Amino acid sequence: MDHPILEIQELTKYYGKHKGVENLSLQLYPGEVFGFIGPNGAGKSTTIRCIMNLINKTSGTILYNHKPLHKNDTVIKSSIGYLPSEIHLYDDLSVKEMLDYHESFYTHDLKQRRKELVKRFQLDEAKQIEDLSLGNLKKLGIILAFMHQPKLLILDEPTSGLDPIMQNVFYELLAEEKAKGNTILYSTHILSEVSKICDRIGIIKDGNLIKTETVTDLLNHNLTYVTVSSPQIDEIISELQLIDFTKSDQTMRFKNEMNHDKLIKKLAQYQVERLLIEEANPEDMFFHYYEQENENVKA
Amino acid sequence: MLKREMKVNRKSFIIWTLILIGLFTIVYLVYPSIFNSANKKMIDDMMEMFPEELLKAFNMDIASLETAYGWLKTEGFVFVLLISGIYSGILGSQILTKEENDKTIEYLNSLPITRKDIILNKIQCGILYIIFMILCVSVFNFIGLSLSGDFDRKAYILLSITPIFSSTVIFSVSLFMSTFTHKTKKTISVSLGIVFVGYFFNIISEMGSSVAFLKYLSVFTLADIRNVIINEVINPMLIFITIVVALLFLTAAIMHYERKELV
Repeated sequence: MDHPILEIQELTKYYGKHKGVENLSLQLYPGEVFGFIGPNGAGKSTTIRCIMNLINKTSGTILYNHKPLHKNDTVIKSSIGYLPSEIHLYDDLSVKEMLDYHESFYTHDLKQRRKELVKRFQLDEAKQIEDLSLGNLKKLGIILAFMHQPKLLILDEPTSGLDPIMQNVFYELLAEEKAKGNTILYSTHILSEVSKICDRIGIIKDGNLIKTETVTDLLNHNLTYVTVSSPQIDEIISELQLIDFTKSDQTMRFKNEMNHDKLIKKLAQYQVERLLIEEANPEDMFFHYYEQENENVKA
Repeated sequence: MLKREMKVNRKSFIIWTLILIGLFTIVYLVYPSIFNSANKKMIDDMMEMFPEELLKAFNMDIASLETAYGWLKTEGFVFVLLISGIYSGILGSQILTKEENDKTIEYLNSLPITRKDIILNKIQCGILYIIFMILCVSVFNFIGLSLSGDFDRKAYILLSITPIFSSTVIFSVSLFMSTFTHKTKKTISVSLGIVFVGYFFNIISEMGSSVAFLKYLSVFTLADIRNVIINEVINPMLIFITIVVALLFLTAAIMHYERKELV
């Protein structure tokens, strides 16, 4: 594997006594889309704001290409594209003026890329920013983040506000960036997006990174949802020593981590009228890890 | 970035400059009808009723209200000092914090510029507008005075420069204070406090030796109008103090802004 383009080492951020993130370590490699998932307030935005140097770290190191990511390193900054979760731009400007202003900060020519992105996202350059809808503001934010052809893209909730057609345009753009070898940190709480676009994911909970895994490995886990209908349902529950399950009449559903061969052999001892084994999707896996973490904390 | 800053702050500059120019326009229009020979005796009698300390506090002991220039030296420049001071305080309070208040700082910070670049552009814009404002008002008054009669041009030019000293320091202090908050409202009230309390101290300090020390607590001491009117010179020490104090606060603002959490 290549060396990481972004490396976060034991990042800790406290807001007074309140924990933002703690001992968070993470590596992002060239050409990967890393899904950073967790609910609101878990620490995703805090991590991103530390990377972007908007807030000061309590401790830890953030390296970009093995070099500390310093707030005043304009060379590094010019190779990062950032899309915040809530976009606030200059209301007194038109879209055209905003794009011109953005262009003025970069030494290389952005005109061709700008033209291409504006066309792709069907954005009207004549419109005033204050008149833009949430979706159009998001599109403008995406264009600003991608326009200077950054090597690292930090995207915080990028699809919120985009209609399904524009979401697909955006996913295509991400795939192209990935193909170019660019790296994407994709923060989201929309779990259905994860298997669609991410190569790896990191699950963050209460400021701690509780799991980092490839999406393929995540889905290869032996986690399934099993639905069984049987007149001997109580005996089956007892045999499988189930604690967490839902039951109505002679049917029950439970989360299964047992080897399927072993499970079927156990069920074969009873009269089974119906058996359904469903693959867990990333969303199920996410909640599974979350519940597991909660149990660990309680223990 | 400076071009954008100049554009963003142009509107408030025009409004504040027009307030001052409008005020002086009214004065030039009504002055001849108020201060005519018929009223002169009444005004002189009224002046004699005021205690000497009070006349001194408003420079009325060294200038006469009989001419437009006399009025400008006594009361007129109080408006220039106060309004340019208020403008500078508001400008210093919001020029930097506005980005945080409006949350545009997340975008600005992501651009390939240093924090020092951001604040230096804002400082440059602020000081340019303060100078432009004082320059516009000075030129306007120069024309107004020329049309109203004869006046001492050299003394007037020196007098016109003086608000730059107090305004620059007010701007620097306000900018420094703004680096401790994300909300413009918080700093504006303190800045206005500095202006009004400073002016009050400046007036009071002229009223007796026991309160003379208050002048050292007033930013308007730097304008030193009285000395300019009497001696027709600007005390170089006050220029030096202005530069040192302004640089001190601006440097402190830059240093603190470098470490500031922007969201």
